[in-house]
Amino acid sequence: MIVTALRWVVFAIAAFALNFPVIATLVTSFKSSREIATNPGLWIQAPTLENYIAVLQVTDRLNIFAYLWNSTVAALIGTTLAIVLAFPAAYAVARAGYGRRMLMPLIVNLRALPLIIFAIPIYMMFQWVGLLDTQLGLGLILVVVNLPLALVILVNAISEIPVELDEAALMDGAGRTKIITTIIAPVCRSAIVTTFIFGFITAWNEFLFGLMLTTRQAVPMTVGASFFFSSGGGGIQWGTASAVMIVAALPPAVLGLVMYRQISRSLTAGAVKG
Amino acid sequence: MDTRRHLEWGVLSAPMVIFLLLFLGFPALVNIVYSLSSVSFQTLRSPELSGFSNYVTVLTDGNFWRAIWFSLRFGTITALAECLIGFVLAIFLAPLFEKRSWLLAIIMLPLMVAPALVGLMYRLVLHEFVGPVPHYLWAWFGSAPAFLNATNAFWTLVVVETLQWTPFAFLLFYMAYRAIPFDVREAAQMDGSSAWDMLWRIEIPLMAPTIAIALFIRFIDGFRVFDNVYVLTGSGPGGSTRSLSIYVYEAFFRQGEIGPAVAASVLLFIASFAVLFAINQGLARRAR
Amino acid sequence: MHRTLLKSLTLGLMAAAAPLSAAQAAVTVLGWPGGPEETALRAVADIYNAQDGLAEEDRVEVLFFARDGFWDKLQADLAAGTQAFDLNLIATYSIGRYAPFMEPVTLSDEAESVYGESVLSTMQFEGQQYGVPTDLSLHFMYFREDLIEALLADADAAAVYGDISEEYLGERLEPKAPDEWTWDDYAATALYFTQAVNPDSPTRYGTVLQMQNLLFNMMVWQSTARSYGGNWMDDEGNITVDSDAYRRGLELYKMLYDAGATPADSTSYEFPEANAAFVSGQVATMLQWNGAAGELTNPETAPAVADTVGIVAPPAGDEGRFTHIHGLGFGLNQNAPNKEGALAFLQWLSTEEAALAYAANSGAPALTPEVVAAIADERPDLVQLGEFASQYGYVMNGATGANALSVYELQAQHFTGYWTGQETLDEALAAVASGMEDMLAE
Repeated sequence: MIVTALRWVVFAIAAFALNFPVIATLVTSFKSSREIATNPGLWIQAPTLENYIAVLQVTDRLNIFAYLWNSTVAALIGTTLAIVLAFPAAYAVARAGYGRRMLMPLIVNLRALPLIIFAIPIYMMFQWVGLLDTQLGLGLILVVVNLPLALVILVNAISEIPVELDEAALMDGAGRTKIITTIIAPVCRSAIVTTFIFGFITAWNEFLFGLMLTTRQAVPMTVGASFFFSSGGGGIQWGTASAVMIVAALPPAVLGLVMYRQISRSLTAGAVKG
Repeated sequence: MDTRRHLEWGVLSAPMVIFLLLFLGFPALVNIVYSLSSVSFQTLRSPELSGFSNYVTVLTDGNFWRAIWFSLRFGTITALAECLIGFVLAIFLAPLFEKRSWLLAIIMLPLMVAPALVGLMYRLVLHEFVGPVPHYLWAWFGSAPAFLNATNAFWTLVVVETLQWTPFAFLLFYMAYRAIPFDVREAAQMDGSSAWDMLWRIEIPLMAPTIAIALFIRFIDGFRVFDNVYVLTGSGPGGSTRSLSIYVYEAFFRQGEIGPAVAASVLLFIASFAVLFAINQGLARRAR
Repeated sequence: MHRTLLKSLTLGLMAAAAPLSAAQAAVTVLGWPGGPEETALRAVADIYNAQDGLAEEDRVEVLFFARDGFWDKLQADLAAGTQAFDLNLIATYSIGRYAPFMEPVTLSDEAESVYGESVLSTMQFEGQQYGVPTDLSLHFMYFREDLIEALLADADAAAVYGDISEEYLGERLEPKAPDEWTWDDYAATALYFTQAVNPDSPTRYGTVLQMQNLLFNMMVWQSTARSYGGNWMDDEGNITVDSDAYRRGLELYKMLYDAGATPADSTSYEFPEANAAFVSGQVATMLQWNGAAGELTNPETAPAVADTVGIVAPPAGDEGRFTHIHGLGFGLNQNAPNKEGALAFLQWLSTEEAALAYAANSGAPALTPEVVAAIADERPDLVQLGEFASQYGYVMNGATGANALSVYELQAQHFTGYWTGQETLDEALAAVASGMEDMLAE
C-alpha cells in the first residue's frame, strides 16, 4: 500500500518535471500579451482564447490546417516507408547476419551525421525531378532520417524471436516473404508500433529540411509555426507562439494515445502466450 | 556463405539499399567532390578541385575540436541521464501502467513538441522577468541563477534535453520490461529471490540489449543535437555551446564555407563508422 | 498486405506531387513574415493590384518564409536558381552575399526625391542599385522618463551618482538629460539604477545589453566603437578593429556586465529578451532597434512602462553620435520567371504614392523631410527616423561586402567570448582582425 502510494508520488513528480515546459506553454497560451508581460507565474489571472483565435482564424493569410496536413502526409510517408524498407533488411541482419558488418554501421551512421550537408545536392536533385516543395519530397527525406532508428529497433526485436518459429514454417514450405509478413511481423507488433511512434515524432518535428525544401505547397507545421508569432524587428509574440505549439503537438499526441493501446494490448498478449 | 544463400538474403535488403542509393548516391557523390574542392554558393555547379585543403582547414580549426568535445560531452551525459531516469521510472512505475496504460501518454507528452519550438519556449520560461522558473526562484529564494551564461548554459541545455528525451528511453525500457515472460519471473519467485535479486540477476540481463540500444540511440541523438540548442543559445558566448551540427550548419550557411563544412561531416562519418565497425567486430569475436 | 500498402502509398504520393505543375501567373514577392513589414507589404500589394488595366499576369502575390533561418533558406534558393519568386527581400548587410544571384534595377524618377541618396545607397552594391529601400533599421536609446526626471531633480541622488561614477569610471559625473549623454554618462546612469551597485535603485538593472553570440547584436554594439572613431577598415582597406576605439567600446560592455548593471543572462539575450526585460519595469535604459518602439510604447504589450518611455539617439563618443543603419528592401531575382512584371512593380514601389502607402500601413521607410511631412501627423516616429538616419547614420567600411555577415559572425563569437571572460581583449581583437583580413581581402 505504501509502495503504491510512493509510486503515485514518483509518477506525479516525474509527470510534472518532464512536462514542465509543456505546462508552462499551455498556461502561457491562455494569457493575453498584457498578462504575459506582468504575470510570469503558472496561474492565469484572466484566461483568454485570443491566442488560439489568432492562430486558427487567420486562414485568409495563413492556413494552419494546410501546414498540419502537410506534416501529417510527409510524416506518414516518412514513417511507413521507412518501416517497410527496413523490416526485411532487419530480418536479414537478425537471422543471417547479412549486412551486419558493413551495411548496418553505414546506415546507422546516417543518424549521427548532420544531414543538412545533403540539403544542397538534394535541393538540386529535387529540382530536376520536380519533388521540390512537395509532400512526397519531404516524406522521402524523412524516410532517410528514420531508417537508422527503424533498423536498430527492428533488428533488436527480431533477434529476440526464437529461430524455431522460422524453421517450423520453412519445413511447411513457406517462403521468406511469407514468413516475414505472416509470422515475424505480427510477433513484432509492439516493436513496429514503437518504431512508428518514434519515427512519426521525429518526422513531425523535423525543421531544417522542411525549411529548405518547401516554399508554399508543402510547408510543414514546424516551419509554418513562426509565421504566426513573428512580430516587428525580430520580436516574438509569446502568447501566439504558445498556442501554435499546443496546436502543433496535438496530432502526434493523439496518435500516441491510440498507439499506447496497441502497445499495451500486444504486450499483454505476449505475456499470456509466454 | 554460398552465392545462392547470399542472394536469398540480399534480396531482403535490396529495397532499402536501392532506395538509399537512389536517394543519397548522388548527394553523397556531390558532397565528396565538394569536400575536395574550393566551392561557394556561386560555384555550386562548378567546384574547383583543391585536394585535401578543406580537411586540413577543419582539422586545424580549434572550433572544430571544441565542437566535437561539446558534442561528445553532451551526448554522453544526456544519454546516461535519460537512460538512468527512464530505467528507474519504467521499472518502478510499471505496476501503475499495467492497468492504466493511458498514464503512459502523460509521460510521453514531452516528445510531441518539436525541439525547435521547445527551445523557443525555454527562452520565455527561463527569462528573468517573464519566465516562471526565475519568477518562483526570486519569490522563494530572493535570487535566481543565470541559466544561460557561459558557465551554466551547458548544464541548462543538458537538463532541457534530458527532460524532453527521457520518455524515449522510458518507453523502450518499459516495453522490454513487460516483454519478460511471466514464467521467468514466477520461477525466480519460487526460488525465493527478493525483488532486488530478481532485478539484478534476471531482469537487467534480459533487458541488456535494449539498454545498450537506448544508450546508443540517445548518445547519437545527443551528439548531433541542433534545434533546441541553436534556438536557445545559438553557438553560445564565445562559441561555448556549439555542437558539431551547429558547427557544420554555421560553416555551411553562415560563412558559406561549403567545402570545410562537408569535410567535417565526412570526417565524422568515417570516425563513427570506424567505431561502429570495431564494436561489431569485437562483439562477433566474443560471440565466437 | 505488403503490396496493397505500397500501392496505396504510391498513389498517395502521386496525388501529393500534382500541385507542382500549377502555373505561376503572377509576380511573386518574398517578404519578411509577421510584424509590420508583412502588414505593409500586403497593403501596398493590394493597392497595386487594384490599379485599372493591370494585366492578370502582372498582379502581385506575396510569399513568406519562416522567420528562423530566413536568410539561409533564401541563400539556398537563390544559389540553386529558384523560380519560386520574382522579387525577394534583401538587407544592406547581406546585399553583397545575394547580389551575384540578383539583377540591378532601375527605380522610378521619383525615387531620389522620396528616399534621398544616402538611403538609396543602403540598397546599392558596387555602385549599382539592387532594390527599393522599404524599411530602415537603426538604434534608439530608450529610457524611463520618470526615473531620469527623478534623478535630475534630486541633489542627494546626484551625489550618489557622482560617487558611483567616480568609483567605476574614474571620473566624477553629474546626471544629465539622455539627449546630452556620452557613453560615460550612459554607463554612470546604468550603474546608478542597478541594485547591485546602488541598493536604493528603484530598478533591478540600469540597462539591458544584448550579448548573445549573434551577428545582429554586433550591429547594436558597434556604435560605441564607431563614436570613438572606430571602423572596420580604413580607406586603403587595412583592417582597423584592433584600435583604441574598439577597445573602449568592448570594455564598456564588459564593465557593465561585470558590475551587474545588465541581467546575468544577457549573454543569451537578443531582441525579444531585451524587450521583455525593459517591459518588466526593472530596467532603466536600453539601446535597441527602432523596431521595438511599437511594442514598448503600447499599453497592451508594455503595461508597466508604455506611458513613460523616452526615445533619443544613441549617446556620443569623442567623434560624436552615431547609429548603425541598414535597410530592408526588395530586389530582383536573376531567375525571376516574370521579370518585366517584377520590374514594373519595383518602379511603382519606388514612387512617392507607394512609399506613403507603405508608411501609412505600419512600414518604416526613411523618407526625405519633404515627403515625410505628408504623414507626419500619423507617424511622428518616421520623422525622427529620417532625422536620426541622416544626422547619425553610418555603415562600416566593408559592411556591404560579400562577406559582411561572416565578419559579424566572427566578431560575435570573439567579442562575446571576451565579455564572458573566455578570451582576453587582446586575443579577441587579434582573432577578429586576422579573420577579417581573410574575409575582406579583395
